[in-house]
Amino acid sequence: MEGVDQLSAASIVAGIVAGDFSATEVARASLAAIDAREPHVRAFLQVSADLALEAAAATDARRAAGEPLGPLAGVPVAFKDNLHLVGTRTTCASRMLQDYESPYTATCVQRLLDAGATPMGKTNMDEFAFGSSTENSAFCRTRNPWDVSRVPGGSSGGSAAAVAAGEVTLTLGSDTGGSIRQPASFCGVVGMKPTYGAVSRYGVVAFGSSLDQVGPFGRSVADVALAMNALVAPGKDKLDSTSQAVAPGFLDGLDVPLARMRVGVIPALMEHESLSAEVREGLTAASAALEGQGAQLVEVDLPHMAAAIAAYYVIGPCEAFSNLARFDGVRFGYQEPGCATLAEQTSWSRARGFGAEAKRRQLLGAYLLASGVYDAYYYPAQQVRTLIVSDYATAFRRCDALLLPTAPTTAWHLGEVSDPTQMYASDLFTISSNIAGNCGVSVPVGLGADTGMPLSAQLQGPAFDDAKLLRIARALERGVEAAGRYAPGTVARLHGVTKEEVWPA
Amino acid sequence: MRRLQEVLRDWEAVIGLEVHTELTTLQTKMFCDCRICHDDPPNTNVCPVCLGLPGALPVPNRRAIEYIVMAGLATNCHIQRHSSFYRKHYFYPDMSKNYQTTQGPVAFCMHGHLDLEVRGQGAQERPDATADKNEDGSYVAPIRILRIHMEEDAAKMVHVGGSEGRITSASESLIDYNRCGTPLIELVTEPDLRTPEEARLFMEKLRRTFMALGISDCSLESGSMRCDGNVSIRRRGTTGFGVKTEMKNLNSFKSLHDALAYEICRQAEVLEAGGAVRQETRHWEPSRRRTMVMRVKETADDYRMYPDPDLAPFDLSDEFVQQCRDRVPELPDARRDRYMAELGLSRKAAEQIAGDPATARFFEQAVRLAPRAASMVANVVVNMLPAMQAVTPEQTASIAELLAAEAITFAQAREVLGLADGTNEDPRRIVDERGLRQSTDADALAKTVDEVLERCPDQVRQYRDGNKKVVGFLVGQCMKASRGTGNPKLFNQLLLKRLST
Amino acid sequence: MALTTNDVRGIADYARIALTDEELQEMTSYLNDAIELLEPIRAYDLTGVEPTYHPIGDLSNVMSDDQTDANGRSLTLDVALRNAKSTQGRAFRVPSILGNEDQKWPKGA
Repeated sequence: MEGVDQLSAASIVAGIVAGDFSATEVARASLAAIDAREPHVRAFLQVSADLALEAAAATDARRAAGEPLGPLAGVPVAFKDNLHLVGTRTTCASRMLQDYESPYTATCVQRLLDAGATPMGKTNMDEFAFGSSTENSAFCRTRNPWDVSRVPGGSSGGSAAAVAAGEVTLTLGSDTGGSIRQPASFCGVVGMKPTYGAVSRYGVVAFGSSLDQVGPFGRSVADVALAMNALVAPGKDKLDSTSQAVAPGFLDGLDVPLARMRVGVIPALMEHESLSAEVREGLTAASAALEGQGAQLVEVDLPHMAAAIAAYYVIGPCEAFSNLARFDGVRFGYQEPGCATLAEQTSWSRARGFGAEAKRRQLLGAYLLASGVYDAYYYPAQQVRTLIVSDYATAFRRCDALLLPTAPTTAWHLGEVSDPTQMYASDLFTISSNIAGNCGVSVPVGLGADTGMPLSAQLQGPAFDDAKLLRIARALERGVEAAGRYAPGTVARLHGVTKEEVWPA
Repeated sequence: MRRLQEVLRDWEAVIGLEVHTELTTLQTKMFCDCRICHDDPPNTNVCPVCLGLPGALPVPNRRAIEYIVMAGLATNCHIQRHSSFYRKHYFYPDMSKNYQTTQGPVAFCMHGHLDLEVRGQGAQERPDATADKNEDGSYVAPIRILRIHMEEDAAKMVHVGGSEGRITSASESLIDYNRCGTPLIELVTEPDLRTPEEARLFMEKLRRTFMALGISDCSLESGSMRCDGNVSIRRRGTTGFGVKTEMKNLNSFKSLHDALAYEICRQAEVLEAGGAVRQETRHWEPSRRRTMVMRVKETADDYRMYPDPDLAPFDLSDEFVQQCRDRVPELPDARRDRYMAELGLSRKAAEQIAGDPATARFFEQAVRLAPRAASMVANVVVNMLPAMQAVTPEQTASIAELLAAEAITFAQAREVLGLADGTNEDPRRIVDERGLRQSTDADALAKTVDEVLERCPDQVRQYRDGNKKVVGFLVGQCMKASRGTGNPKLFNQLLLKRLST
Repeated sequence: MALTTNDVRGIADYARIALTDEELQEMTSYLNDAIELLEPIRAYDLTGVEPTYHPIGDLSNVMSDDQTDANGRSLTLDVALRNAKSTQGRAFRVPSILGNEDQKWPKGA
């Protein structure tokens, strides 16, 4: 079956329901696309062909038996490799977990499977989600499907690239400081970080427990909305104390423009010195597209935004230090052989199992939590969080969503950014919504005039207003399409690779 | 080393306790739904949460929170409506996440107290309380409780390859996570205890209280209730604090008392010789009756504590606290006082019955059936039932009534109970069937008295020489000769009559 | 006040991450850079501002019923031990705990 990579999730489900094609055919088409493009993209760490064909066969059997099909029936999906799925390894792209077999399945993964999705495999990431380019993977460097000499962003780079390259229809990633939205932006796909608590974190290998949130990537807002419906049904996950019930109404009125839509812009951020010219151009176009869809732009401010990045680099490492303490090589994970004492074994297992960035963040966290230091950084960081929550509350009294850059630039070349603290700056526009816990989504708005790489705009909404945020994102998408800048469903063209390489004879 | 009582004349001991209690009567662990059962084969009751697997998340056990609130109410604590769980980090594989989920500066229960009544021999350990002492030397020591917080227990580790399973010489250790994540409440006292006896009494009272609440089996032996003692000493009359040592392995009331007593004497010896006490953790070795250094604390441990982001904070409602309050039963000391005041029980019997919830329940059932024979019911419960297997409250009430009516003797009661044990037989019917009624036939008894007096000329002479107590022995002989059927009061009267002529 | 390599070695010992001398140098300079990045946190007047530890609004008192294996998560022994590198019988195995002097006695409850 040809062209499955072009289909939307809804079209795949409709086609299977109508009997135009089978879930097995879709799964095989996805496997073929993976076969063809993976040598260039390397989005996957594992392809779970057996699980995929088994799930697809089950979907086909249900249809044959006249049983109702789930809302994601037969849709090829893949999961960032920090999400547990029984029958696969969950490596977090770390040597530490190289051969770690998932002993259970994450709630978010299970919910997509329950909706009938076909699991195609696990995608590459920065080790333990520490990074913004997926170059921190212990196993391979994923390429940007728009230009294989460039990075896909990160940390959920594999999930963004797999969707952009048309290998699968939907993927899940996790976003601790922008790790869904930034790679979505780099790869020209839609990536959503839902409100903290909307999607269960059970079975998601934790980085920053108060910041992490799982969300979907898709090639259109509608696909992302469909995935969100599956992720929040059937309500709160009782295995996650911080999860809350969200109604699965993401498709309701998605195409109906919001009446009296007000979109907030922060002039200082729209013209931020770090923004490249083409990113600025994309934002201007995004504003125009939203206005074209009836939005009123209002000026707002997030006065403590600058403190957010500092708060993030306090809270994130502190939580990471403690979340990664359990990796001691005893019950799971890399174990240094031949150690005479427990302490030696622990220290060397962690030294050899973790990559450089994982060690940096843990040491930073261990320092920041030390008594005496705690009061100087950790406590004020959580106070700053209060200020940021209140900044957002003030801003959202005047608007339905905020329009922001997702990242300061388009995707950079592999190896171009190597200084970790410089890398951190690319999260500037995404971090504050993780700190506050509200929702955000990155929407493609065209291709850059200078690099030819995807441009995006970010929309952020108030906590638990995720459905409304997606309606506004859909308006933006429609406006961008109307302007002839970018069509939803676009598959990346694998620049730097000949057509023959992608589709060998 | 000098004896404790001597040492305590010159030195005052300052003792604080940390008591960990596993909530063993719960079905499931603190943050997951694994069964609480430490005796299952290793690693039977484990799941991603208690094994600390990546991605697993905790959800607190509601019943455990109810239990700690009940514990707080029973120990006069202030119940903090707002509190949170924290992560306490230390790398050691008995705690699967390498941090323990525990509470921060604010615990569910803060600032409580228990008042100890110190009596008898133990009261003499404390010379300074003389002013407040009652005539019999007893005194009341109010002991403040700093806090009771909720946390999770660690896994069990077995150290192999060394001698005696001791860690110091082990070549490797094996870990069983069945216990890991068991709900644990930690009570910390203020340093208000002054003698090993007070420490022992505090622990006993706490155990009675927790038993009455039904929140734990409170076994010191198996470790479901564990106690660490901190002790320092200072010259009498001074108010500063000395350097303290921490005592571990206090797994019986006796160990608790003896280890503290040893340590107080040891510290006194060190200080009197011009030395200095080091801040260290010491291990009580009951077989050698001494404490040994486990670990020297040079700097305070830094556990990097911070609020656990995986757990929502608590904001306990009035309703929740009231529900817990409603579930707190009458506590042992109040119950003891009521038994003494309302039922006329002796202090000893009242304490013994009230101290054990199952015994108290049984006793009260029996008393309801024999309300006029309450102290006799207590007598039967305390003195006879321990030797029986399955006597019912109904049978106990019957026996008590028969005894109170002096229809049978104690020896007969014992015999009847033995026959009724494990059956539904009414003791009255057994008494009737076997003709076991107590004999009050004065002629028959007089015959027995004469026989006994004839057999015991020595005691008769002693009595006549002024040793009036010997009559008790003679009553005993008469009871024996009548095979327990004679009325002891009548025997007594008859004996006195004969002996005075 | 910048962190010295000695400070960083202490932190790494605590965090149980062995560092080579070269890594120690790199890590020290990284930590000092990173801490500098955090300075804005100290630039605000935060007097009287309550901290927000959990971005979950008013959510509180989340608890579960005391019901055995209500979620069917119990692991079989095989699955529980599968990812461990050293086991013995039904148990996880670790090497000697007190191999050298600076090892601490086990703490915990």
